[in-house]
Amino acid sequence: KLATLVPVASVWDKNLKQMGEEWKQATGGRFDVTVYSGGAQGDEPTVLRKMRLDALQAAAFTNVGLGMIDPAFNVFNVPFFFESYDELNYVIEKLTPTLRKRAEAKGFVLLNWGHGGWTQVFTKKPVQTVAEMKQVKLWTSAGNDRMVQWFKANGFDPRAMAMTDITTGLTTGMIDGLPTTPLAASLFQWYRQTPYMLELGLAPIVGAGVITTKAWKPIPDADKKTLLAAAAGVEKRLQAEVPKQDENAVAAMVKAGLTVTKASGPEWRTQLDNLAKTMRGEQVPPDIFDLASKARDQYRKNKKPATSK
Amino acid sequence: MKRALVRLEDLVASCALLVMVFLPLSEIVARRFFGRGIPGSGPIVQHLTLWVGFLGAAIAAREGKLLALATGTFIPQGKWRRAADILAAAYGACAAVVLAWGGWQMAMIERETGTEIGAGIHAWVTQLVLPVSFALIAARLVWRVGHATLPEELTAKTPRKWSSKDLAERWLDRALASIGIIAGVLFVRMPSLLQGHLIWPAAVVIVAAAFLGTPLFAILGGTAAFLFIHDGVTPATILIETYSLSVSSTLPAIPLFTLAGFLLAEGHASERLLRVFRAFFGWIPGGTAVVCAVLCSFFTVFSGGSGVTILALGGVLFPALVKDGYRDRFALGLMTASGSLGLLLPPALPLILYAVFAQIPIEDVFIGGILPGILLTTMIAAWGVREGIVSHTKRYPFAAREAFASLWAAKWELSMPALVLVSMFSGLATTVEAAALTALYALVVQAFIHRDLSLTRDLPRAFAECVTIIGGVLIILGVAQGLTSYLVGAQVHSRLLEWAQAHITSRLALLLVLNLFLLAVGWLMEIWAALVVVVPIIVPLAAAYGIHPVHLGIIFIANLELGFLTPLVGLNIFLASYRFKRPVLEVCVAALPMMAILGIGVLIITYVPWLTTGLLTLLGRG
Ligand code: NA
Ligand code: NA
Repeated sequence: KLATLVPVASVWDKNLKQMGEEWKQATGGRFDVTVYSGGAQGDEPTVLRKMRLDALQAAAFTNVGLGMIDPAFNVFNVPFFFESYDELNYVIEKLTPTLRKRAEAKGFVLLNWGHGGWTQVFTKKPVQTVAEMKQVKLWTSAGNDRMVQWFKANGFDPRAMAMTDITTGLTTGMIDGLPTTPLAASLFQWYRQTPYMLELGLAPIVGAGVITTKAWKPIPDADKKTLLAAAAGVEKRLQAEVPKQDENAVAAMVKAGLTVTKASGPEWRTQLDNLAKTMRGEQVPPDIFDLASKARDQYRKNKKPATSK
Repeated sequence: MKRALVRLEDLVASCALLVMVFLPLSEIVARRFFGRGIPGSGPIVQHLTLWVGFLGAAIAAREGKLLALATGTFIPQGKWRRAADILAAAYGACAAVVLAWGGWQMAMIERETGTEIGAGIHAWVTQLVLPVSFALIAARLVWRVGHATLPEELTAKTPRKWSSKDLAERWLDRALASIGIIAGVLFVRMPSLLQGHLIWPAAVVIVAAAFLGTPLFAILGGTAAFLFIHDGVTPATILIETYSLSVSSTLPAIPLFTLAGFLLAEGHASERLLRVFRAFFGWIPGGTAVVCAVLCSFFTVFSGGSGVTILALGGVLFPALVKDGYRDRFALGLMTASGSLGLLLPPALPLILYAVFAQIPIEDVFIGGILPGILLTTMIAAWGVREGIVSHTKRYPFAAREAFASLWAAKWELSMPALVLVSMFSGLATTVEAAALTALYALVVQAFIHRDLSLTRDLPRAFAECVTIIGGVLIILGVAQGLTSYLVGAQVHSRLLEWAQAHITSRLALLLVLNLFLLAVGWLMEIWAALVVVVPIIVPLAAAYGIHPVHLGIIFIANLELGFLTPLVGLNIFLASYRFKRPVLEVCVAALPMMAILGIGVLIITYVPWLTTGLLTLLGRG
């Protein structure tokens, strides 16, 4: 039983179901996967609780669920840490062995990585500087108080609210900006009220497929190999399709009146780096943060000038 | 000693509710004047819902106020009645023990993972309220064996005096009922006892228990627990769902609006409101019934469709109807149905949620709901006019002086919807904060402005009673969520839809099937869960058949309204049974004509899309 929040019939859903089919065929039906999409098994904390009690065996999590398995996964949530998918993929590759080990210590086996898109900041008024950004009444998920406190401590103006309050919040001016992926902004029509998108990705939504160690252990090694191969196939396809989806969404929204703003001035870079560092230790284990920073800087040095995503 | 413990229990639950009112309000103030809110305020308020709900459920068990489908009173007093009472208590205690153990298991796993909800509070500590409440409930069901079927005792002021022979019998009954606790422990220790070909025997036991007066949470929770254990899955899954529903971010609005409604009802607010509406509508034949329909719609719109209306207004409107010459059964049916009216009128919460899950503009859904909402209220009011003519009920001639006087007397109450709308739509408050503001406003108006409620006597009692009601409802919603989760796991929903896609060719046929499907959804599921689980599935299906998404949403909510009235597990049926202290079956029968009328209304809304989309097209938003 595999649970996920991804919407039914979305690109993620289709890929997971295809993977399920491949698993079933490759193992001659010994491995039967039922995919519960669209949050049918509850939100990610709920799914995780069920997995720990063996009521579910596998899940495709976003950063929320992963961060609850082990705080090391929060490294992908650090605001403005990554500049591009290439950079992100490079760092992921470097971190995978460590993260895999940490997840296994908590009873979960990492099957594959998944991309959920890249959150951009959508605002009512154009934002170009960090100071302007701090003026924005920014929506933040009511479920994650740590993140809310982090935003506050760094001078931002977060408004913790349920996702269902976003549209009303935008209409009433309770919030005037929100971080979200272009695809979501377009699907939920939030961009109509927030016609400016700061093209400086806040953070990627890095997801992963995980299975409980309990369910994974008894599988014969030969089967494990085929299962992982199918999972890797999903990872490859998502790597290609998801960024394209976001690009298409931006193009469609621009046609409908969205303005894409660029960050101005070099002070962004230094301020953002300082901002990122405040996550070290507090939200992300220091060793993981350093490992990620090292890998990222190494990538930037090799690839100068950085290719934009 | 016992008295003191009882007081303490009430006090803890009431204080939790009071904090729920003040924390979101302090958050508004802190945000406005200091630019930052209170750490962990949101999650703490959400977890207080869990605490208020489950402490309330334990109190409800103490008072014998847990909702049941039926009572064993149809069996004449004697040894059979005694046996029935023991069986009902034993089954209820067994289910409660299994659920308590599931809650304990969840809390212990959570402890290992060390999740914090915010402000340094550990999630597992907050979850402990679940096993504690369920254990208390199990003990209380056993302790009160035989009490549950004596409704006259629930209302009696002085407890019955027991003779020594009675007392000896009671202890024997308690000993026998406690076998249920032992059975519960046995099932969680050796789940294999329930695995095998036991579906039919289990079904017989559960149905029997339901008819003999076991509380409904034990029926739903026991069914879910049996099904999970039977499939080799831990019943803690139910508690995971209960927890996640109880702490969801919009749910605190429900106890808060319940409190607001309850405070209004405890004072003389509903009399004042009744006077206004009566002054304006009382001259019509069946005027009081019309007044009820309008007044209930008015209440439901701002109480967010949580079923508060029956609780808040029932106490005033029901006696008023009976006094004016309406038949008892009509009055009961009307009050039950009235709890559904108004859900389609803006800014009812379901409309907002549907828009979000269906990914369409909220304003469109608001506009789409206006005519269908008015239609349903009008149809019920028309049925009231018919009753008025048939039963020659009392009429009140119109007088301008009285109209203005009543308007002035009820000014504070009449401005409540405006308060909700303004606080939400000015960007001052979120839904939960608006609910807290409304509760505080009701408190101030009733206790300080009108002085209808005394601070030392009435308010503590009102809070304790309100907590009991919230608990009685939340425990059912919570375990029902566990049952839903089992059904989702068994893919009942998706199989139904696959079948639909294979067999349905026309839009009209789809609409009909959708009506039946949604009726079942409204019947079986709690409204927010229905929105979350069902909307994403039906939106693409409806789109494939060319149904307007706003139209679909209005059909969806209208069907849920109807589902709330559906016999046995419809939400309004419980609430009415609760408020008017009538057996569930009696309420079901009384609600049947209203169900038929609303059913016709839903069909009209379904097959005349213009009602929904007409205004939208007119405004150029179609
Ligand atoms: Na439910
Ligand atoms: Na229901």
